[in-house]
Amino acid sequence: MANPLLNEKGGDTHLLLGNEAIVRGALEGGLQVATCYPGTPSSEVPDTLYKLSPGGKYYFEYSVNEKVALEVAAGATLAGAATLCTMKHVGVNVAADPLFTLCYVGAPGGLVLLSADDPGCHSSQNEQDNRIYARSAGMPVFEPSTAQEAKDMARDGLKLSRKHGQPLLLRTTTRVNHLRGPVEFGPAPDPGKVEGFKRNPSKYVPIPAFARPMHLALMERMEALREEAENSEYNTVTGSGKLGIACSGISRAYVADALDNAGLADKVTLFELGFSYPLPEKKCLDFIKSVDKVLVVEELEPVLENDLRVLAQKNKLDIEILGKDVLPRHGEFTVTLVENAIREQLGEAPVAACDCPLPELPMRPPNLCAGCPHRGTYFAARKVFGDDAVYSSDIGCYTLGILPPLQTADFLICMGSSISAGGGVAQASGQTVVAFIGDSTYFHSGLTGVANAVFNSHDVLLVILDNRTTAMTGHQPNPGVDKTVIGENDHPLDIEASVRGLGVTEVRTVNPFNQKKTLAAFEELKALKGVRVLIAKEPCPLYSRRVYKKVAPQVAYVADSCAGRFDCLDKLACPAMFKEGGKAAVNPILCNGCMLCLQVCGHIKAKKRGS
Amino acid sequence: MSDVKKVRIFMTGVGGQGTLTATTLLAQTVLAQGLPVTSGEIHGMAQRGGVVESTVLIGCKSPKIGLGEADILIGFEPMETMRALPYLKQGGLVVSSIEFMPPLAVAMGKQECPAIDDIKKAVSACTDKAYYMANQTIGLEAGAVQSGNVAMLGAVCAAGDLPFGPEALEAAIKANLPEKIQAVNLKALELGVAALNA
Ligand code: SF4
Ligand code: SF4
Repeated sequence: MANPLLNEKGGDTHLLLGNEAIVRGALEGGLQVATCYPGTPSSEVPDTLYKLSPGGKYYFEYSVNEKVALEVAAGATLAGAATLCTMKHVGVNVAADPLFTLCYVGAPGGLVLLSADDPGCHSSQNEQDNRIYARSAGMPVFEPSTAQEAKDMARDGLKLSRKHGQPLLLRTTTRVNHLRGPVEFGPAPDPGKVEGFKRNPSKYVPIPAFARPMHLALMERMEALREEAENSEYNTVTGSGKLGIACSGISRAYVADALDNAGLADKVTLFELGFSYPLPEKKCLDFIKSVDKVLVVEELEPVLENDLRVLAQKNKLDIEILGKDVLPRHGEFTVTLVENAIREQLGEAPVAACDCPLPELPMRPPNLCAGCPHRGTYFAARKVFGDDAVYSSDIGCYTLGILPPLQTADFLICMGSSISAGGGVAQASGQTVVAFIGDSTYFHSGLTGVANAVFNSHDVLLVILDNRTTAMTGHQPNPGVDKTVIGENDHPLDIEASVRGLGVTEVRTVNPFNQKKTLAAFEELKALKGVRVLIAKEPCPLYSRRVYKKVAPQVAYVADSCAGRFDCLDKLACPAMFKEGGKAAVNPILCNGCMLCLQVCGHIKAKKRGS
Repeated sequence: MSDVKKVRIFMTGVGGQGTLTATTLLAQTVLAQGLPVTSGEIHGMAQRGGVVESTVLIGCKSPKIGLGEADILIGFEPMETMRALPYLKQGGLVVSSIEFMPPLAVAMGKQECPAIDDIKKAVSACTDKAYYMANQTIGLEAGAVQSGNVAMLGAVCAAGDLPFGPEALEAAIKANLPEKIQAVNLKALELGVAALNA
């Protein structure tokens, strides 16, 4: 049966993840080109497009990073294609350079940029609020709050962007990307062929003489889009109370449930902004004038709040506008939190707080999986360098090396920073630096770091953890992989050749499960100076199982002779191992048969899986 | 929306246990009953053995459940049941597994899990509507360890706090799960309902 997401007819209702809903919306909007770099919480959008791509009528690619993804998308929309480009919030930082100028140049075919923000840092290194990017670069913003809206806004975003020739930001947050709700499908007809690029240098080449009028044209487009926002059905005012509540994004859901819980809906005037920028000023003014006080409910930065304050000041309105002084500027909201803020403004008592004490329990931090090849690399690095090296880490599963006993992540800035920031430590202090980067991250932004380190003669040992996939975000392909879930990679890039091509002469490749060779390679590279690279190459076992259909034939077990020294547990901490009585033991269901522990302790042996 | 009685269900388990599959199945069950449903999940790095939390809400717009807001708490692992207790409304329904999946620090002998009686005591301080079951054992009896989650869903449906009973879940299994795993899950459902009444 064909996937219902590709169905050209509408009418059905399906229970969809917010990210799947965005895919359906893009298809209903006539999607022709999609590019991305995966990143939680955005990843299921490209993953779904990728899986559907053999049967879909669009071009899809995993680009090497967000800047490249947006540049490919920019070319596609200039050629007239309806284009979607997806990334997580921090990815927009990487893409910021093309983004700002693209907003001048415009998007003739339509371009929706999905920025999946992460209030609460569920899977990110920060909580940045990308609505601010939109205000700085000049992009209209849609902020869905349900699966249905995620679908409708992806569709209407593409259409509106195409109509005005302006890139549009579809700004979601983790809760929206990962919620599931019913979605009613509209038609998704064949988008037909891409029109093709039409030469017009004064419009598309931002040399200074052309860029100046482009900026004016951008401001005109944004004024036209403000008119659209004034009339958009995504911006609604309901109720007639004296307290005004303004909200956007997922906060709308919290407000709706809070009002419902409290039975206070008739005491407030509710202004919901789904199309939140450019600000529909007339609508906002009417709203502000109709109430005595405004409470702005938005997660993270006071973006809408400041907009409304400016508007009130410009119009000499003396009205109290509350927001971040009563609601937090960090993390996610909850219904109760919002309900209490509203109750307070209405002079009602807060809902009774839950008095259950928070139990003190052992934590369950995520850990490198059983049989993860990174454990072998980290174990060897620690053995050779101990606490004498500064370990520069990067973004990926391997950041989990931070946990004891491996403790091989001392600092981390962003994708690709391990090599460059590691070089900074080494050059500034003369300390020994071992930097770690994954294969996908190496292609994302490690290549330039290596070029820089070679050019500037940094003294760094770079370990490329090549697990043949992008494991962290769900096993997406990268330029180095040979096989993917939907087929072969026709042009696999050789990491070792690329490192040598960048001018590194000391390069070793090892299988990290071979501890003897890995330790020897570390020792050898430790004795050298300058940029040295160790490639630790071994597929992620989870990926291996899915894509190569390979499972290790053996599992480990602890012989009765175990003396209870627990070196295996204390130094390796493989999650398949545990203490039982005075001895170590291996859970054969969890063991992935990497045979690393056998090289750490002679009392651990191998046996056939299932025997 | 306000004419539908709101029910907020909070589920918690360990990465890799199949918590999210169970969540989707329950959301599909609610949808098939013609009720407004929204569901959410937080997994991030959780697939590497961390905690997975998910929600199914009937008659609500938000997919999130805050502290003290859940009507029903389903714990697929007993220690996670205890960790999630602050999310439960006073007097809410708890259905929990009694079979531990020790986190690494416990496996390494550095920390200890609470005893199952401590967990039951903590639960009974919040509610007297609690049911416990050996979901992995039941799953194995039905034919696959993961189906223990469906057994627990069956128990929740049978406990009477949802606007539908186990037959709705049965229909959802038939409509949504791949044919080859239907029999196992139907068996698990039956065992789960029986466990509740035991
Ligand atoms: S062989 Fe040893 S280290 Fe490897 S997964 Fe099994 S128990 Fe863990
Ligand atoms: S997903 Fe793969 S690469 Fe990531 S921790 Fe697990 S085994 Fe290692």
